[in-house]
Amino acid sequence: MAYIGTIPAEAYTSFAVQHFTTSATDTFTLDFPVANENEIALFINNVRQEPGSSYAYTASGTTLTLSSAITGSDSMYCVFIGKAVQTVTPASGSVTNDMLAGSIANAKLANSSITLNGSAVSLGGSATITQGITMADQWRVNTDFTGDNAPISSNWEQVDTGGQGTLGTAMSQSSGVFTFPETGIYLVTFQLTYFASNSSSRTDFSIQVTTNNSTYTDVALGQVNGTSGQNAYSSSFINTLIDVTDTSNVKVRFKNNNQDNSNTIQGNTNYNATGATFIRMGDT
Amino acid sequence: MDINGKPNHIEDYLVRLHTGQWFGWSDSKNKVYANLIIHDSSKTKPTEQECIDGLAQLQADYDQAIIDREAKKASAKQKLQDLGLTVDEIKEAFGI
Repeated sequence: MAYIGTIPAEAYTSFAVQHFTTSATDTFTLDFPVANENEIALFINNVRQEPGSSYAYTASGTTLTLSSAITGSDSMYCVFIGKAVQTVTPASGSVTNDMLAGSIANAKLANSSITLNGSAVSLGGSATITQGITMADQWRVNTDFTGDNAPISSNWEQVDTGGQGTLGTAMSQSSGVFTFPETGIYLVTFQLTYFASNSSSRTDFSIQVTTNNSTYTDVALGQVNGTSGQNAYSSSFINTLIDVTDTSNVKVRFKNNNQDNSNTIQGNTNYNATGATFIRMGDT
Repeated sequence: MDINGKPNHIEDYLVRLHTGQWFGWSDSKNKVYANLIIHDSSKTKPTEQECIDGLAQLQADYDQAIIDREAKKASAKQKLQDLGLTVDEIKEAFGI
């Protein structure tokens, strides 16, 4: 059937009708609860009765009370006009959160768990989500030096100038050997600042790693050069990823070879000139 | 050292006195002679006066090096002019 105008949102399929088995009584039980007698149309012997306490009947809940008893030969039925038996399909996109009586039971959801970091977590359960970066630390050498140093063993300090900061558990350092706080993949960066006094000589520097707490290997190399005829500062960075599978055996240190000891490697306690940065990128 | 490399602290003298990381500071935020510490036991701690004198000598050497460098530039420039080069040609070719 065609409609003129907007199609009704609710489609009522039928009214409920109850035919009573009559007897000589004035009280009957309704199939459906009602708020009052006005929600039903009552017929006795096909004559509609007037609702109300001063009239033919009253109703409340499932109790129907007649003003006087009928007999078993009378016929009686009622139509639940306040109770339309219906099938309602809400329009698409029309159900809002406010229409829900409470939380949706997990069992009613298509998936009862979600996957976090590769592990299934039940809805309503809990899981710890690890931050992307949990550790970042930075150290520097606070005093100038010259010569060949394997490792650069003295005058290290953790950065502490106002505005500088670190994250998580710090590296530990002893005689220039740095120990990681926990296993993981670390980005290690080494910065070296070099002052050459009217010299074209250079200094080489490297990041060294050990996996047995004894033998060190160069894993990142760099070089800075002076310029003849000029007093010049130069800086350079090198870095590497270190797989720290065992904090007792995997450690790093830093080394330099200075070609001309009239030139100096710069250290400072107020800013980073020569130093190292350690950032834990994730699990090993 | 300052930004031009001129020595301005006793650390500039100490770093040239021996190679390596033979010294440091008990308080790196206060680099005065009283806080000077020696890491390498084979090295002798210089006196404060030695540090003062050493810094003064470095500064004098730095200043003299600049004077010498400028004198050499002027001498070279004059010799080139004597050979017949113009001031512009010398500047373009040699940057002096």
